Amino acid sequence: MVSLGLTLVMLAFVVRLLQVQAVDADVYAAKAEKNRYSSHKLAAERGAITDRSGVELATSVDAYDITADPSLFTRKETKTGDAPEQAAALLAPIIDKDTDEIAEKLRTPKSRFTLLARRATPQVWKQIKDLRTALADKASADPGAVNVLGGVFAVPTSKRVYPNDGLAAGILGWVNADGKGGGGVEQQLNKELAGKQGEIRYAQSGGLRVPTAGSTEKPAVPGSDVELTIDRDIQWAAEDAITEQVEKSRADRGYVLVQDTRTGEILAMANAPGFDPNDISQARGTSLGNAALQDAFEPGSTAKIMSMAAVLEENAATPGTRVTVPNRLHRGDRLFQDDIDHPTWYLTLNGVLAKSSNIGTILATGELGETQKQANESLYSYLRKFGIGKKTGLGFPGETSGILAPPAKWSTSQQFTIPFGQGVSINAMQAASVYSTIANGGVRVEPTLVRGTKGPDGRFTPAPAPKKTRVVSDRTARTVAQMLESVVDDEQGTGTKARIPGYRVAGKTGTANRVDPKTGRYHGYTSSFAGFAPADKPRVTVYCVIQNATEGSYFGGQICGPIYKKVMQFALKTLQVPPTGKAPARLPVTFSPGKPETPGRPANGR
Amino acid sequence: MSKKPELRGRAARLAQLLPAAPSQAARTPFVLLVVLLLGGGLITLLLLNSSLNEGSFQLTKLKKETQELTDEEQALQKDVDKYAAPDALQRRARELGMVPGGDPAFLGPDGKVRGVPGAAQGAAVRPSAARQPAVLPPLLASPAFPAPPPGVTSAFPSPSASASASTSARQPVTPSPQPPATGSPSAAAGPSAPASAAAGGAPRPPVSAERPTPTTPGR
Repeated sequence: MVSLGLTLVMLAFVVRLLQVQAVDADVYAAKAEKNRYSSHKLAAERGAITDRSGVELATSVDAYDITADPSLFTRKETKTGDAPEQAAALLAPIIDKDTDEIAEKLRTPKSRFTLLARRATPQVWKQIKDLRTALADKASADPGAVNVLGGVFAVPTSKRVYPNDGLAAGILGWVNADGKGGGGVEQQLNKELAGKQGEIRYAQSGGLRVPTAGSTEKPAVPGSDVELTIDRDIQWAAEDAITEQVEKSRADRGYVLVQDTRTGEILAMANAPGFDPNDISQARGTSLGNAALQDAFEPGSTAKIMSMAAVLEENAATPGTRVTVPNRLHRGDRLFQDDIDHPTWYLTLNGVLAKSSNIGTILATGELGETQKQANESLYSYLRKFGIGKKTGLGFPGETSGILAPPAKWSTSQQFTIPFGQGVSINAMQAASVYSTIANGGVRVEPTLVRGTKGPDGRFTPAPAPKKTRVVSDRTARTVAQMLESVVDDEQGTGTKARIPGYRVAGKTGTANRVDPKTGRYHGYTSSFAGFAPADKPRVTVYCVIQNATEGSYFGGQICGPIYKKVMQFALKTLQVPPTGKAPARLPVTFSPGKPETPGRPANGR
Repeated sequence: MSKKPELRGRAARLAQLLPAAPSQAARTPFVLLVVLLLGGGLITLLLLNSSLNEGSFQLTKLKKETQELTDEEQALQKDVDKYAAPDALQRRARELGMVPGGDPAFLGPDGKVRGVPGAAQGAAVRPSAARQPAVLPPLLASPAFPAPPPGVTSAFPSPSASASASTSARQPVTPSPQPPATGSPSAAAGPSAPASAAAGGAPRPPVSAERPTPTTPGR
């Protein structure tokens, strides 16, 4: 009987042994492995974003998420009822939060985790740590005391910082809570910036690493640094100037673009109002993003330069061609007028641009084709070549391509408004690019915002060279540049506020009817000024827009002209561009109707 | 004297192979050797382990030190960035009595002036300059930083800081060396602007910067 019992027991042991050692061996081995080895993700350091001279515009620093385990603050654990309050009173001044709010978080029932502060600096965590150690020492010395901070911990993380605060925020964008780019270049080049996460796996015992046991480590690959074409100083000057004017004019917003005319590199892209990417929660939703690329608006008179270039390129007129501009002009279903009532003006084509006459522009572009349809198609082809209605090639997230309908769909009035920049929508970059094209001898260089990336190995990879396309001939471009000089230089021009003594400045004012995004109808004005300098050897294009100025003047020449001047002065100094010292072109603006005309053919209305 | 029987020939050779006597003395060094080897191995293992642990401690310590130094570096870099930000530079420059340079003018190597040099305009602190309260300690506010020589600076292209102090000298000089944090207009007249700057403005080329600008309404 006994032996039978013993046999059964032995049998049970053998079966269990077989089960553990043979049948389920893999499972148990795996379980042991799981407990013995611990693996951690190694965060990759996000690459920095720098300006063209290597000044950091965005960088990553170490930070700590301050967390707590509410189960360690209960009466049972601490032997006191108000441990959360005590801890909150200690923590509040350090992490700069409300005492009640912290206490409430620490009172969360049935929870072992709560987040007290996100991305605190290492200094903050050190303060808390020191305080915790001091309390722990006190608690061990005096059995009556309790360490109320015993349940406070920190999770190492990293924080994106923008050392210049709001500077170039629209371009840079921001990083969201997951550490991914949420807008701007941070989003566009997130893959390059983010790098690759690494992993470490080691044997552990009681949470501590066993030094003799092997470990495998796959190191994290840090992200690449991105170098922008932006010049920090010019960017600041542009932001400073536009912010001041937008406030003064009580305008909705404004943008300034500065572009190198030769390389197409964007030196500054300023938005006002801007935001601080260090603190997205405080930013207004309307000022988030990069309005200079994301707003589509009707450019108004600054677009006349494209009509003029088309007219000159098609040999339909010369700058000296006489245009008799009546006070009113009936075209299609509308009666067109200039911005002021005037007696019949006797202007040259140059004068039409200098005085920004809508009627004169309609008359001139009418010469582009035998019929209005042909003229429309010709103008459309030039607008397209100048890059209107197309993405600029920056690849920026959320960039608008503007609205340019094909000529077959132009309404009766659109045929006559598009030549002077109404009935067509563009973004500020497209407009700046048009002026850079003229400045660059008629060759359009695709704008660029990124110079290149510097990998973790320190090797610099330049961005692909921008595409170049010829839009108008060099001769046409030079003539248009001379005409643009009259806008600023001539006493009758609209852009006299943009004069820079010593320099030949080319520019064009624009005051457009603005489409109110809420109602979809015209309300308010878009004031703008575009131009480049030096006119005879261009280096920099500056384009300034102010949307819906409600106080003071709303004329582009009055409010944007001074900004253009300020930013241009600064850019010329920063890039060290001396004046060419040549005499300005001074093309005639008016003509005497009595005298016979010599060159060109008349461009009067039919 | 009995003679040991001499073994001869084959027997003698065989006798040489026989152990002379059971050896007792040879065993002790061997045991010692084995104990030594075992003990030595143990001790070596112990030393190795403790040195590994020591290395681990040192690694932790150095890692901590690196971390602390990194934190410190990042904190210091933050301070440097705060000083180097264009906004802060402008504020400091204005506190020192500098103003934006105005129209660019260049002095060529042949002594020829290109562009139209003129006195810098606008001395008041604009609201944009005071967007943030001045948080920087007055490190730079010492008289060791003199105002730039008047008249000359505007003839050179120098980014961000090309400013002439001559205009500020025309204003009453505020005696307070510490500018108000809110940036009131009086902060523009820097304490370090020399009082003699007005005289220094005289040898400037006689070009009027204040020529009347036409007021054609813009479009």
